[in-house]
Amino acid sequence: MHRHPPVSDTAPAAVVVEDLHKRFGELEVLKGVSLTARVGDVITMIGSSGSGKSTLLRCINMLEIPDEGRVTIGGETIGLKKIRNGRSTVPADARQVERIRTRLGMVFQSFNLWTHMTILENVIEAPVHVLGVPRAEAVDRARMLLDKVGILAKADSYPVQLSGGQQQRAAIARALAMQPKVMLFDEPTSALDPELVGEVLRVIRQLADEGNTMILVTHEMGFAREVASKVVFLHQGRIEEEGAPDKVLTNPDSDRVRQFLARHLSGAA
Amino acid sequence: MLELLSFGPNGWGGQLLSGLAMTIAVSVSSFTLGILFGSAGAAAKLSHSLILNGIAEVYTTIVRGVPELLVIYLLFFGGSGAIMAVAGIFGYEGYIEIDAFSIGVAAVGLISGAYSTEVIRGAVQAVPVGQIEAARACGMSRWLILRRVLVPQTLRYALPGLGNVWQLTLKDTALISVTALAEIMRVAHVASGSTRQPFLFYSTAAVLYLLLTTVSTAAFERAERRANRGVRRA
Repeated sequence: MHRHPPVSDTAPAAVVVEDLHKRFGELEVLKGVSLTARVGDVITMIGSSGSGKSTLLRCINMLEIPDEGRVTIGGETIGLKKIRNGRSTVPADARQVERIRTRLGMVFQSFNLWTHMTILENVIEAPVHVLGVPRAEAVDRARMLLDKVGILAKADSYPVQLSGGQQQRAAIARALAMQPKVMLFDEPTSALDPELVGEVLRVIRQLADEGNTMILVTHEMGFAREVASKVVFLHQGRIEEEGAPDKVLTNPDSDRVRQFLARHLSGAA
Repeated sequence: MLELLSFGPNGWGGQLLSGLAMTIAVSVSSFTLGILFGSAGAAAKLSHSLILNGIAEVYTTIVRGVPELLVIYLLFFGGSGAIMAVAGIFGYEGYIEIDAFSIGVAAVGLISGAYSTEVIRGAVQAVPVGQIEAARACGMSRWLILRRVLVPQTLRYALPGLGNVWQLTLKDTALISVTALAEIMRVAHVASGSTRQPFLFYSTAAVLYLLLTTVSTAAFERAERRANRGVRRA
């Protein structure tokens, strides 16, 4: 069976999350989470809905601002400051956050392709307008990426003309176009019809095989085991267990993980 | 009788035509000013500042809640006084008169802007959050997101409503005929008085307004189709 090769403990850290706390009103969604993704790691985060895994992913690129804790991307710690008498946290420097986001490719559950642009325009948008890549060069690269994810023929279509699976592959190409250091996937197949899940997972698996550093929130347990170098199980805002996929997904120490797997692996190989 | 509408020495054709041009000029200027007021008003209503929320709320409540003619009178008779009072504070004591065109544009623009505020606010809120998040996630600055994603998408949702506001604005310009500005309504009024043919001139005015609204409705439909590229399946 396919397995991701283990990543050395001495590989440089791509993403370091330290003691992250996040509250939505009264509800504390993250209660002190620490996590390190090394270069070449593919980390899959699993857990029940409400366990905080999507929030954790969204804190990494500051789509959610953590209340406490530190996020360090490629050695650079994102500066945060308290406002309104400490009741709210904001980035200390919006420009720093923008710069760091260019190194993090994000793929959303609901694709979020810009509906007023063609697929090609979606893919070249940020390289041209954020990174300042010459248009012709961006177009060449976009075509190569669209070919890689298998939808080059749809380059001049609008998102609405594509199936969900095609839209998600376009969204992956859009994220790759920024040549990110780390790819973040937030339940990339959860909004898809079952018959379209495979084509998206194939693309993600290829990216994993090519050695890309990725953090992935997913409900696809079989897939999590195959592509992951490390599996992280979240429960009620804390990391319940983490480790090699064969360990966590077949012989976990935690009873909660055991119960979760019993519910989610029934019937799956 | 139709000779009265001709362009000859006894005809009112030339004046009606320049009235038409004046109506277009006032409408376009007021609508544009209204879009500016409306964008500012929508931004204020959507901001987190309670003070800005309050200012925008007072603006739309007052302007939409009193008769439009009253707004025009207030600005026409109060505008010069107010500006002179302000000039007086800075030591200027002379008489300042603002021309009827500027007052008219300001008044109708203020009214138009109050309605545009609600249209634009609704359109901004209709843009799915994911569209903005995707832009933030690839490192776009606030200004870039505004220009490349928020405005084009807002426009798509706002165009039908703005088409409505445009038509209201166009018709509201007739009200500023009370300031003797020679737009379509004023010319028709003067002509019917001096020729004693009110029906002829008022129906001519009606035809001119219909012409303007028909042409502009078609233009807005075109713009909507263009803005909606990619929304409906081709």
